[in-house]
Amino acid sequence: MASSTVVSQTSPRPGALPRTLLVLGRVALGSVFLYAAYAKLHFDGAWHLSDYHFFFAMMIDSYHILPLWGVQGMAQVLPWFELALGALLISGLALRWVGAATSGLLLVFIGAMVRAKMLGLEINCGCFGNNEKLGALTILRDSSLLVLALAVAIGAFILEKHKATASS
Amino acid sequence: MKWPLLDRIGLLLVVAALAVSWDSQATAQTKAASTPAPSPSNFTDRKSLGSKNAPITIEVFSDFQCPACRNFYETTLKQLIDNYVNTGKVYLVHRDFPLDMHPYSHQAARFANAAAELGQFESVERALFDKQDTWAPNGKIDDAISSTIPPAQLKKIHDVETQHLNEINAAIERDRTMGIQRNVNQTPTVYVTAHGKTEGLPGGGVDYQLLKKYLDFLLRQ
Repeated sequence: MASSTVVSQTSPRPGALPRTLLVLGRVALGSVFLYAAYAKLHFDGAWHLSDYHFFFAMMIDSYHILPLWGVQGMAQVLPWFELALGALLISGLALRWVGAATSGLLLVFIGAMVRAKMLGLEINCGCFGNNEKLGALTILRDSSLLVLALAVAIGAFILEKHKATASS
Repeated sequence: MKWPLLDRIGLLLVVAALAVSWDSQATAQTKAASTPAPSPSNFTDRKSLGSKNAPITIEVFSDFQCPACRNFYETTLKQLIDNYVNTGKVYLVHRDFPLDMHPYSHQAARFANAAAELGQFESVERALFDKQDTWAPNGKIDDAISSTIPPAQLKKIHDVETQHLNEINAAIERDRTMGIQRNVNQTPTVYVTAHGKTEGLPGGGVDYQLLKKYLDFLLRQ
């Protein structure tokens, strides 16, 4: 907090447009992740806090990548991880690392989707609930989100470096 | 006017013959009326396995020619039938959802429905999926499953199919319409009903171990 005060007093602020774009980008990306978590926990008109992982595990398993224990573990954890990422992105806390983690997660998702398409698996994406079939548009959408996540992460790193340089 | 005796006997015989003929026609009509054509709901019941009073009902929208349906049947449904349906925990309902992309799936569905009418749905479903590789390329279902379903039984099934073709087609269409209303867009699609709530599982089939965990969870509630 103290260093940011110093920056604002001793160096020119980074351009307003990049900062605004960064805020918009992280809020948009955070909202998408919050919605992804919500769709895994609330579907068919009701909350599924006690049994969401059964449904999500079935979706993860349809990718034929992980063993059963991995499928179940991921199904338990992933919605909450997405929720945390979404909240952190919107709040802007630890943005460099959150942006990097989000990029990494999206990269894993895209890899799994491309693999499924290459294997000819006719499955649902599992991204936002039950009924979205995995297709080229799904991969395109997640790729766009990856570009956005990378932009947010890189932007946050540049901003931080700029602050550090200015403060030194 | 006096009739000779032989003429009188002849007239009596003719009247008697007409009476017998009318009576047999009436009996036939009465018999036909007492064995009504099966209704679509009868077919649904006959395509179901297990007890209607089971705590969980599973509906499977399926296409006999779809490879994913066969895989789901072989790897999940067989175990489900053994461990949950036959033990009274699950009532398993087959819903026909023949996809237009499969040229013989309607034919197979009609055959299975006719078998259901004879109370042989389970064995015919098993035979159709077990031998899918053999009949799916050419539609020769009889040839493919004749090793498991005896020829005399095949003939009976085809007789029922011919006799009740309209009702069978109506039953299949009814299942399909129900699926479309529920946004079924792939086969197999599974719905699980328990405690008054129906949940759709991810389409394309479900691993038996994962389904088992979900069913055990529902049964514990």
